[in-house]
Amino acid sequence: MPALIRQNLAFILLLAIGIAAAIATYVLRGEGAFRHALDSALGTFLFIVPSLVAGLLLAGALKQLVPAGALAKWMGAEAGLRGLVIATLVGMATPGGPMAAFPLVLVLARAGADRGALVAFIFAWSLNGFQRLLIYEVPLLGTDFTMMRVLLTLPMPILAGWLSRLIPIRWTPPA
Amino acid sequence: MSATQGLLWLMALIALGLCLKRSTAMAMRAGRDGGRSLLRVLPLFCVALPMAAFLAELVPGDIAVGWLGPESGLQGIVIASVAGGLIPGGPFVSFPLVLTFTKAGAGVPQMAALVTGWAIYGFHRVIAWEVPVLGWRFVAIRMLAGLVLPILTGLGVSWLLPWFPGALIRP
Repeated sequence: MPALIRQNLAFILLLAIGIAAAIATYVLRGEGAFRHALDSALGTFLFIVPSLVAGLLLAGALKQLVPAGALAKWMGAEAGLRGLVIATLVGMATPGGPMAAFPLVLVLARAGADRGALVAFIFAWSLNGFQRLLIYEVPLLGTDFTMMRVLLTLPMPILAGWLSRLIPIRWTPPA
Repeated sequence: MSATQGLLWLMALIALGLCLKRSTAMAMRAGRDGGRSLLRVLPLFCVALPMAAFLAELVPGDIAVGWLGPESGLQGIVIASVAGGLIPGGPFVSFPLVLTFTKAGAGVPQMAALVTGWAIYGFHRVIAWEVPVLGWRFVAIRMLAGLVLPILTGLGVSWLLPWFPGALIRP
């Protein structure tokens, strides 16, 4: 039972907040606002479903064509700018949530990737992971916003990775 | 169907075609993977979208406009970056929230800062994943290296916005 709750924590939390917000809307803002919210949610849903299905199919196909594990072997122990660039590309190619990304971080750390590469990987995955862009950002926020944001943040993982090598905090990779 | 959706479908069909060229089994795996993701994501959308819509009715419009509006400038970008870091949960929470704030009158640079703050600071991910896997020292290094990036993103978007007039305009 606890495992079931943990797996569906996001759903349960969203549902609880949603129900509380629905009740609050009905009581504080009246029936009109309540209906308006439901209409607007339905409208958004119908608008994003076609993109959502296409995005999921594209992500599924890309995962088959470019498995993240195949890219990982190119990120060796020797650092330099090349390591940061490769780490950034691997990070963007890594699909899924933290449950998929952080185990891979551990694999990379044990394989000898330095702190710069790990920082670049995490930033690239969390800022511009292709799967999240395709499934969420493009359908919900549109191409213009997504392109502008990605354009700006594309070099950031490399920059942050390089900076992290200069920060004088001692850190040893997990054994 | 919008141009975005058409492009997305075109790319999906091309990628599926490439899979099919390698082998039928690979295309099947890609399709199954997509279907599984859909089953996982759809229930989240079904609760997240109404939640965001109800919150939009509750949040007074002038708060979004005042704190995060296009006129809020650098201060709004900083507030949005920090607020982004506090959003608990994955993209199925953060992106509907951005839509909600946008409808309530938030500015585009502020929303770009919010998304970036969520991606970089995201405290729930730090506590649940990064600390257990890599330790506090690593988190400190990463945070220092990325501290100004959400604010830089917000400022960069204010500068780029004239070239992307369609950003965050609902059809």
